[in-house]
Amino acid sequence: MRISLRHKQHHIAVDVHPEGGSYRIGIGETEHVVEAHYIDETTMMLVVDGRRHHVAIARKGKERLVAIDGEIYQFAPESGSAGHVATFAPPEIIAPMPGKVLQVLVKAGDHVAAGDGLLILEAMKMENRLVAEAAGTVTEVRVTEGAMVDGGQVLVVMKYDE
Amino acid sequence: MTLFRRVLIANRGEIAVRLIRGCHELGIEAVAIYSEADATAPHVLCADDAVCVGPPPSAESYLNIERTIDAARQTKAEAIHPGYGFLAENAAFARAVSDAGLTFIGPRAEAIAAMGDKVAARKLVVKAGVPVVPAVEDVADASQLPRVAADIGYPLLIKAAAGGGGKGMRIVRSEADLAPAFAAAAREAQSAFGDGRLFVERYLERPRHIEVQVLGDQHGNLVHFGERECSIQRRHQKIIEETPSPALTPALREQMTAAAVAAARSVNYSNAGTVEFLLDQDGRFYFLEMNTRLQVEHPVTEWVNGIDLVHAQLRVAAGERLWLQQDDIRPRGHSIECRIYAEDAAQTFLPSPGTILHLREPGGPGVRVDSGIRAGYTVPIFYDPMLAKVSVWGETRDAAWRRMIAALREYVVLGCTTSIPFLLDVLDHPAFASGDTHTHFIEEHFPSWRGREQHRVIAAIAAAIDTTRPQRAATAGATAAPASPWATLGHWRVGAGG
Repeated sequence: MRISLRHKQHHIAVDVHPEGGSYRIGIGETEHVVEAHYIDETTMMLVVDGRRHHVAIARKGKERLVAIDGEIYQFAPESGSAGHVATFAPPEIIAPMPGKVLQVLVKAGDHVAAGDGLLILEAMKMENRLVAEAAGTVTEVRVTEGAMVDGGQVLVVMKYDE
Repeated sequence: MTLFRRVLIANRGEIAVRLIRGCHELGIEAVAIYSEADATAPHVLCADDAVCVGPPPSAESYLNIERTIDAARQTKAEAIHPGYGFLAENAAFARAVSDAGLTFIGPRAEAIAAMGDKVAARKLVVKAGVPVVPAVEDVADASQLPRVAADIGYPLLIKAAAGGGGKGMRIVRSEADLAPAFAAAAREAQSAFGDGRLFVERYLERPRHIEVQVLGDQHGNLVHFGERECSIQRRHQKIIEETPSPALTPALREQMTAAAVAAARSVNYSNAGTVEFLLDQDGRFYFLEMNTRLQVEHPVTEWVNGIDLVHAQLRVAAGERLWLQQDDIRPRGHSIECRIYAEDAAQTFLPSPGTILHLREPGGPGVRVDSGIRAGYTVPIFYDPMLAKVSVWGETRDAAWRRMIAALREYVVLGCTTSIPFLLDVLDHPAFASGDTHTHFIEEHFPSWRGREQHRVIAAIAAAIDTTRPQRAATAGATAAPASPWATLGHWRVGAGG
């Protein structure tokens, strides 16, 4: 079964083949032999090609939040069985919390580099600069300066460079 | 000396939890206050009694002096501990507490007021012989400039007297640049603040932030507990602190701690306080300000000195004489603290509140977690996004550093983005490892951090396998009770893998 996931700007297609009690996992050209032992609902001992990894996992709707070794990942499922659908899905920049749009720094059609500011959102008494995760083109700006926005609201739509 | 029977904690989050623990250890009952957003917050759950003081915004709850004092009266608390932030450095609050016949656990209101006015504080400590950054206030016209500049010494920082936020600010490195920079800064200040007055001070290149912990009783005795270095900052807020500072020689430590004690004596300081300095690359130090309260980073001082500063605060506030002489205080080993924020370092440290779905705190010898969260808790959007602090002790800086890295790798917080991966990258940086730290460290070494993702493939495999797994009815992270771990174990082998 192919599972297509997105974490930030990364699109990862994982082929999961259960085989006896373990899995054969394909990512791109690479194959891994994986054992997944659930210690409890949120703790996995994952043995990948013989190496043990202590993984914490939580579920938020269809998303999977994963912590390994002090690192955190947030994977969202992507529809479509093939990678190309995922790649062209326009990543949406959402308001991480309720706040007020102080400044819009880009307009549709602008090309931005990774780390470039998109807009400034005032929330939690601070001015927060939302930046592009990767280089790409702004396809849509859905808010104006001064607008009050809800957490989760789409502010800007990006098309990342190939 | 009898201590208090009951103390009200006028704060929230990890510091309220830490203060409540301190009270309980001394046999004192603790009363929490909370806003409507915090009814089930950890600090409320561990208190002996709790009073709601208002709606979620701090201005209507945790900053409400009248309601806070009413809460103390209503619960028959005899003293109030303000923690840090909120009302901790509000002289009017300290006065109101005393006027209500209660004890304020902190310095006298006069000391808070004297140190709270930055210009007055600067004058006070200068009189006490404490060095300050050379500066000239209110430079009216450009003709005075070359003389002023020569007195202060280059490089210079020109700042708007009325300003902030970098507007009207210029760094000047030589006399040739002086006049144009001054004119530009004056124009900017005039248009931004309607006030073109400028302030000129020596600009310190890559300074370190060094502060000294002091403790005084109400009988004129005052000691210090050495320094903390807090140079690793983002948004002018500390994120990693340590003691001792890798930059201090015994002679410099002697001078800085003596200056700190002199600054504290200049306001007859009692209770716990911190004198902050900047240390330049030539080993010259300058008074920055005095914080008239307990600091966020107090645990590192507690680790190396074997003291509990909260116990000490309660004891001296009750009138006890200091039980320690300066010679009794002998720090040992090294301690580091990391602040864990709900924020996204890859998005300019944007706060990232959310619900904690899964929490696993680090442990083992020499590891301490001061936490204001629990599994299932929703981090409110109204307050500072600091979730917890991890502090460690080791025999040497290297041992403490390794222990901190191990602790952060163990720490699991799922549900909101935290600063843990960023902190690990900062700790891993060779400049941090070698103690080459300064207040511009983050801007210099991490101008656009994109994330720490060494295990992305493993994480994706875990997420993919979990996605294919049949879901149970309620799998809400840590709150879900697993039916039986054995049913899910599969063909578990002891000592599996390599």
